[in-house]
Order: sequence, then C-alpha cells, then structure tokens
Amino acid sequence: MSDFLLATAGAILFTVAVGLVRILGGPGDADRMMAAQLIGTGGIASLLLIAAATGARGVDDVALGLAILAAFASAAFVNSGAPAEEPDPNPADDR
Amino acid sequence: MSVLQALDVGLAFLVFAVAAWTVFAPGPFAATVGYVVYGLLLSLVWIRLFAVDVALTEAAIGSGVTGVLLIGAAARLRGAETTPAEEALTGLTRLFAAGLCLLVAAALAAVVLLLPDQGPTLAPQSMERLPETGLGNPVTAVLIAFRSFDTMLEKVVLVLGVVGVWSLAADRYWGGAPGEARAERPEPTLAFFAQVLAPIGILVGVHVFWVGADEPGGAFQGGAILAAMWMIVMMARLTEAPQASAFWLRLALIAGPAVFLAAGVAGAVVAGGFFAYPPGLAKPLILFIETFMTFTIAVTLPMLVAGPPRREPRR
Repeated sequence: MSDFLLATAGAILFTVAVGLVRILGGPGDADRMMAAQLIGTGGIASLLLIAAATGARGVDDVALGLAILAAFASAAFVNSGAPAEEPDPNPADDR
Repeated sequence: MSVLQALDVGLAFLVFAVAAWTVFAPGPFAATVGYVVYGLLLSLVWIRLFAVDVALTEAAIGSGVTGVLLIGAAARLRGAETTPAEEALTGLTRLFAAGLCLLVAAALAAVVLLLPDQGPTLAPQSMERLPETGLGNPVTAVLIAFRSFDTMLEKVVLVLGVVGVWSLAADRYWGGAPGEARAERPEPTLAFFAQVLAPIGILVGVHVFWVGADEPGGAFQGGAILAAMWMIVMMARLTEAPQASAFWLRLALIAGPAVFLAAGVAGAVVAGGFFAYPPGLAKPLILFIETFMTFTIAVTLPMLVAGPPRREPRR
C-alpha cells in the first residue's frame, strides 16, 4: 500500500515538474507567478501522500501552512504589479 | 532501488533544477518566482527528512516572508533592470564569481559527506529530560526550555532588525508609517481574496502555535503565518501599516522578549536559577511566554517587510 502511495506521489511530482518547465518558461511574469500555485496544489498532494506512506507526524499542518502561503505568494506577485508609488518630490531632503 | 529512494532522487533533481533555473532566470521578478517555488519544494525535502518543524519554518519564512521581501525589491528595480556597475561586469568577472560559488558549494558538500555517521549529539539527553517540561514536542522543549536564553536573544535580534530598518527613514518621515495609505476603493479581487484568506490563515496560525507544545509547530511558525496574514491585509490596502511612533506598536515589538526575560528573572527568584521553571509549572509558563512571542513575531515580520517609514507622521 505504501509503495502505491509513494508511486502516486512520484507521478504527481512528475506532472508538477513538467508543469514547472512550461510555466517558468513564461513568456510573461503573470504566467510565471502561477508556478507558486502549481506547487501549492501538486506539491501539497504529494506531501500528504508521502506523509501517509512514511508515517511522519504533523504533516497535515504543514500542508495547511503551504496552502495558505502559496496563495499568499500569488497575492504578493499581483500586488507588485500595482502602479509604483509616487516618486519622492524632493529627494534632496533625504540627506 | 525502492520506490521511496526513487522518489527522493526525483525530488532532489527537481530542487536542483529549480535552483539552477532561479540562478539563470531572465530578470529579478522571474528569479523571485523561482526562489519561492524553490522554498516550497524545500519544505517537501524537510518532510522527507522527518524535520516537520523545519518544513513549516521553511514554508513560512523561506517562501512566504522572504518571497514578499524579494518581490517588493524586484518591483522597485523594475525601472532600472541593469545598473551601470552590472553592465561593467566582464565575462571573466562573472566566470570568476561562478567558480568561487562552485568552490564554496563543493567545500560544503565535502564537509557534509565527511561527517561521521554518528556525530556528537545531545539528542538522547534532551529526550530523556523531555517529560520534565510537560511538552511533547522536543523542538519546542529545546527552544523554550533547554536553551531559552538563546531563543530570547534571537527575538531581541528581530527587534534590532526593525530598529535598523526604521533608522533608514528620512528625517522628515521619522515616526511616520511605512507603505501606502489605505485605499479608498481597494482593488476588488485582491480585497476579496484577502478577506477570504486572512480569517482562515489566522485560524491556522493560532492552531500551529497551539499544537507546537506537543506536535510540530510553535511560536515562530505560527507567528510567521499570522504575520503573512497581516501583510496580505495591508497589501490589499484594506488597512494601512501603523505609524512607527505608535505606542502600541512599540509595546507589541518588545512584548515577547520582555515577557520572556521577566519569566527568566522570576525563575532566578522562584525556581533557583536564571531561566529555570518551577517544577510542574513548566508547561503553562512556556505556553504563556510563547503566546507573547507569537504576537511579537506576528508584528515584527510585517514591519521588517514594510520597510522604513515613507510618509510624514500625522500628529
């Protein structure tokens, strides 16, 4: 049974790897930022399968954390695309 | 080769490939995406090494907080993708830098491979004394009981970090708020997303902190997830960063180390040793300290990411 779970985890990881090749290739930044989401889904799936097969404790909490932080990273990417802050009107004062 | 070994080799290959992609990525933004993916993959590796606490920290700090910091930096650099100094770099200099990096990596790898199979370790002694703390998670016991003074000082370093960031502010912005003002009409998708994610994230953050006593988790991991949730609410501009001069903010920044230190001094009086816990009361005391630590971490990390004050203080 555990071999089956591990093989499934490997298969998912393989699809993630193939997906990463395509996504990280771009062409745009918006395409690339979906990579974090891909790990957020595929990575967590293989994480839970590996944990079930090897009996590591507390992994469900890591899965929860990863799910939230992967979504958080995507939001940060979106936010960085927002218009830049207004330039400093009189930067000479900074000295 | 068993299925598990094949999986490990595949995972290692994937991590290596993403690392290589990050180094050769076209532009800072793409490299940052690669770095975040790399961090998320590393937490898978830590799970395979049965270091679940480290996996949580890697996901929260390595990917979440550092990722946002780097994304912010990449966004600021967008206007000036290459500096004159960067253009002046010749192929030879780059080759030399790459060679130096490879040398350091090879030396580190050699040292790790040359380590004895059974290195010097205090793990058996820690596990032996674990019941005296009342905790079930040896990592938390080491952090808050066996080497509590170090942990307290680590939190002081975080506060010093915030002081360092704030001291970069221009004179007229001193005491003001970092980041942008609250939007009158927040960007709807981002605002909706933040409103959905933040409550769930806060619940998970508090949960990770609370189970840290007996299962993988703890103050730092829980605090980092809470910090990410505050950051996303600020990013969506549903709320704005507090002024650096706000009294409650300064109190929140020092609450963790202050309570920790007070408990340590109290230990010298009550339990007969600096940072000693009275027998039987260790676990409640540890959870009490950790509560304030979680709070301080959740406030400190967003302040580090938000950067120096960039607006004039309101009176």
